[in-house]
Amino acid sequence: MYYLGIDIGSLSCDAVLIDHSERIIASSVVPTGARNREAIERVTEDVLRSAGISHEDITSIVSTGYGRNRVEKRDSAVTEITCHGRGVMAQKDGIDLLIDIGGQDSKAILFDENGAIKDFAMNDKCAAGTGRFLEAMARVLQVDINEISRLDAGAKGSVTLSSMCTVFAESEVVSLIAEGIEVNEIVRGLNKAIASRTVSMVKRLARNTSELSAAMSGGVARNSGVVRAISEAMGCGIFVPPEPDTIGALGAALIAKEKSKKMSA
Amino acid sequence: MQQYFENIINGIEKTIREDPAAASPRKKFALEISKLGRDLYAGRRPVAWCGIVAPFEILNAMDITSCFVEFIGAMLSSTGAVATFLEGAEQSGFGTDGCSYHRSVLGAAEKGIMPKPEVLIGTTCPCTGGIAVIENLAKIFNKETFILHIPQDESSENVRFLAGLIKDMVEFVELRTGIKLNRNRFLEAIENSNRMRNILGEVYEMARKVPSPFNGKELNNFGIVMSLFLGTKRGIEIAETYRREFSRRIESGHCGVPGEKIRLMWIQNRVQFKNSIVQMLEKEYNAAIVIDELNSITWQPIDPDDPYTGIARRSLSIPFNGPVTRRIDHLKKLCELYKVDGAINPNNWGCRQGAGSRGLIEEGLKEIGVPVLNLEVDCIDSRNFAEGQIRTRLEAFMEMLENKRS
Repeated sequence: MYYLGIDIGSLSCDAVLIDHSERIIASSVVPTGARNREAIERVTEDVLRSAGISHEDITSIVSTGYGRNRVEKRDSAVTEITCHGRGVMAQKDGIDLLIDIGGQDSKAILFDENGAIKDFAMNDKCAAGTGRFLEAMARVLQVDINEISRLDAGAKGSVTLSSMCTVFAESEVVSLIAEGIEVNEIVRGLNKAIASRTVSMVKRLARNTSELSAAMSGGVARNSGVVRAISEAMGCGIFVPPEPDTIGALGAALIAKEKSKKMSA
Repeated sequence: MQQYFENIINGIEKTIREDPAAASPRKKFALEISKLGRDLYAGRRPVAWCGIVAPFEILNAMDITSCFVEFIGAMLSSTGAVATFLEGAEQSGFGTDGCSYHRSVLGAAEKGIMPKPEVLIGTTCPCTGGIAVIENLAKIFNKETFILHIPQDESSENVRFLAGLIKDMVEFVELRTGIKLNRNRFLEAIENSNRMRNILGEVYEMARKVPSPFNGKELNNFGIVMSLFLGTKRGIEIAETYRREFSRRIESGHCGVPGEKIRLMWIQNRVQFKNSIVQMLEKEYNAAIVIDELNSITWQPIDPDDPYTGIARRSLSIPFNGPVTRRIDHLKKLCELYKVDGAINPNNWGCRQGAGSRGLIEEGLKEIGVPVLNLEVDCIDSRNFAEGQIRTRLEAFMEMLENKRS
């Protein structure tokens, strides 16, 4: 018996296939692009091919992410808040708080002692501090998005960005480049700005962040510079799962299994 | 606009004529609101543009068609035509970060679709934005404004002060309109006001039942708009229709939201344009909005021998008046009375009062175990409504509440 979770985000579409013992059998991440149905088909085909199984072998599918209702073969759709929560709990025990920064939104999820979601907060409509923000800044800095995470090495932290609006921050970065500020300092400034915004969101849920057992998921969790900046701002360590961008899809797959079990009970 | 209201009136009356069983309380409510809207535009009687806590029974007793300005903003939003008026206000220099209820009214006035008032009565509660609109309208129409300064607490001095001010307001209105407040009409209006109050109290009490006998749309925008019918027989008839229908439903075991699982409180005002929020909550999560913050009776019946004091007390009793702790206490009480699982606060874009109290309300309700979902919604301007993002927040909140219950 296999269970499939599909997370259709604004930037990437992820799928995780698990078996009855909740072991991850296959996973796939592709850019969502303008046609999310095609991305859904691609990730599904990817995991089926990797696992060597067919559609008929899948017992249940749960979709999540902003495009969750676009998955035609879903058994149910669950929000990314619940799925990321479920996914991270399968990766590490005792997590109090999860920060998920995706392509166009960011969220903080607070758990109770049983691992159930106690509260959550999301960014407002503005995409500042999300994957899209970083993409725009990488473009201005003329660096690859995957490279930007390493670029703050050796920075003294002398740059502070006054605006987190993607448009204003972009022109601010252009000005900093014109002033001859080193790229590593600018990247550190960007990371600190994202951290500041993220911690404001976290503090809406938990005033004292230093004693939290925190984790981070979503594509931006691959950016070690951002993770470090958030960790410093919160005053606590942050656990990053090995595949942070597929945590939502993993959670969806686990929920698919749980729902399926409930249905058959 | 008059034609717009005429069309609604004709449509509802035709429906009821053809199928008397379709005469639901909500239809009756909508019919009477539309008649009020028509009266505003008909030009047959003097019009008073007011603040939300104005003493409408006095104006009704004087046959002055009176309304709070925000009503027009909500109405324009519900027609789907509000963008033109918001843009009009922007072109006149009103910033886009202000309250869109007020901006739309200003835009409507600029474009000449606000009926000309004879008098304007601003109230310092619930917000200063409303007064600014009244003052702008006064300038546009070259009319005088009377401001009812609503003190922040219910001390006896404040009650006396406000009662005196309301008397002054009556003189002001009499002088500007040439209409005298007839004592017998006034007493009749007080009696009607008290009867409506008592019936509404019963209606709200019935709504506490678990499961609730009504759905999330039936008492939408209700309490605040009902204040426009204070002192009138219309108001009593609407309230009576609700009481009758809810009693019948309770007796027959009818449930407003079949299979009600989650009970919600809606804080402040609803989203006024067409949207799928309530339907989604009810159909997908069996979640019922069982209480709106503004649907409650916070005042005592008015003593006909001392009506100004009673009216002043009512204006002071509005939970939006005074410190936010008072509002939080009120919300906590509603949560307990209505056995609420969670609350939704739309935080209407541009509402400074709402934005300033948001965190305190959230913390206050958390103390009694009621989680709050803070949305970032412009309740008037659908152009600022990101449905997908709102859905995600609402669905995640419902999943959290479902999980909590199980």
